[in-house]
Amino acid sequence: MKKIWVIIFNCCLLGLPVLAWAGGGLDVPEELGNKVNLANLSGINLFFARYYNDNLWAYAAIVTVLMGVVGFAIALVTDVILKMVGMEVSKIEHHE
Amino acid sequence: MFDIYLPIAGMQFNALILVAIGFSVGVLGGFFGVGGAWVVTPALNAFGFPMAYAIGTDLAHIFGKSIVATAKHRKMGNVDMKLGLISIVGSVVGVEIGAQNVMWLSRLGLAGPIVRYTYMALLFGLGIYMLYDYATKDKRTKQATANPGAGVGVMPARKTFNLPPMIHFPASGITISFWTVTFVFLFTGWLSGFLGVGGGFFRMPALIYLIGCPTAIAVGTDLFSVLFSGAYGCFTYGVKGRVEIIAAILMLVGASIGAQIGVTAVKYIRGYGIRLLFAIMVILAGISVSLKQFNLSVASQWMVMCAALGMCVVIMYQMWQGVKKERAEKAGH
Repeated sequence: MKKIWVIIFNCCLLGLPVLAWAGGGLDVPEELGNKVNLANLSGINLFFARYYNDNLWAYAAIVTVLMGVVGFAIALVTDVILKMVGMEVSKIEHHE
Repeated sequence: MFDIYLPIAGMQFNALILVAIGFSVGVLGGFFGVGGAWVVTPALNAFGFPMAYAIGTDLAHIFGKSIVATAKHRKMGNVDMKLGLISIVGSVVGVEIGAQNVMWLSRLGLAGPIVRYTYMALLFGLGIYMLYDYATKDKRTKQATANPGAGVGVMPARKTFNLPPMIHFPASGITISFWTVTFVFLFTGWLSGFLGVGGGFFRMPALIYLIGCPTAIAVGTDLFSVLFSGAYGCFTYGVKGRVEIIAAILMLVGASIGAQIGVTAVKYIRGYGIRLLFAIMVILAGISVSLKQFNLSVASQWMVMCAALGMCVVIMYQMWQGVKKERAEKAGH
């Protein structure tokens, strides 16, 4: 019997956020019509600006993937450099 | 001299300033386990970045930086992956509820003042509580030593709520009800959505005081959560065309170097030392928000930047002292 009440209580708790969410309704993102002037741009600036003008979803995907890849690459490179200079970190003991 | 053209924002900007802002927030982020949007956004804005681009660019660099910092914290055993993954569910729902509450308050014309006063109360309340906790830790330790069976410890007493299912987190060394964890992250997520901030600065103390994580694990696990919110923020602001990618990459380079220093500093400073510095930083951020409330926006922006730079210097100094001590000990052996 106790188990049933636990299950019912858990279901009610799970339902609360859904009810609160349903009460509001989602907003449609605002449409932004900014365009970058491509004249005088070259190289990487032109590459990003073209995607920005043509397809913001593709631009957003490129930005997100690029930041992840750059972050990951920097983490790997700094790890190697720190190892070389003898500042490698390992598991620590947790002191309060 | 180091001016570069940023095509998306359509402006000239000094590359060194971007790297320096990234560096200082990288140190803070790696050390405190926060994204640092409350430092970067006003800093970029103060140097002439339009606000919407400042927020989007900041979130993009936070995503990259949190990968660097989380990877290093993981090596040090400071990331509770299980807890971090569970935090995402509660946080996402909480953010949406908070955002809906703000929309409702906006329709009533009350959003601005209520959000600002809640923000101020939270920053000052949290900072003062953590200072109090730091100031009374020795007294609690003495009491615990005198009465080992009385249940008085260094950690403040947490309410135990044992509704099943109970979950064990081996990395943090705690067993806690799924509902406690969910409600804590739902609440911190709600605060994020309500205040319009990443939420690292209240999720980190929540992990310590409400969940019961050791301080270093709270820092690492919070950064792991920031990684996901940063990725989502980067994408959604990218879709809205408000991420200046060149600026974000330059900031990421500075932040990555800073994060290495910040994370390494955690190794040399004890948990309560981290909490004390965090409390001071949160109170300074509260003063900055209060200045803004009284229409002193420029003073507020400079206040938060100076506080961030000052705290970076303190963290780097403490780390340097720790490194010197460690080397002296090794030489002694």
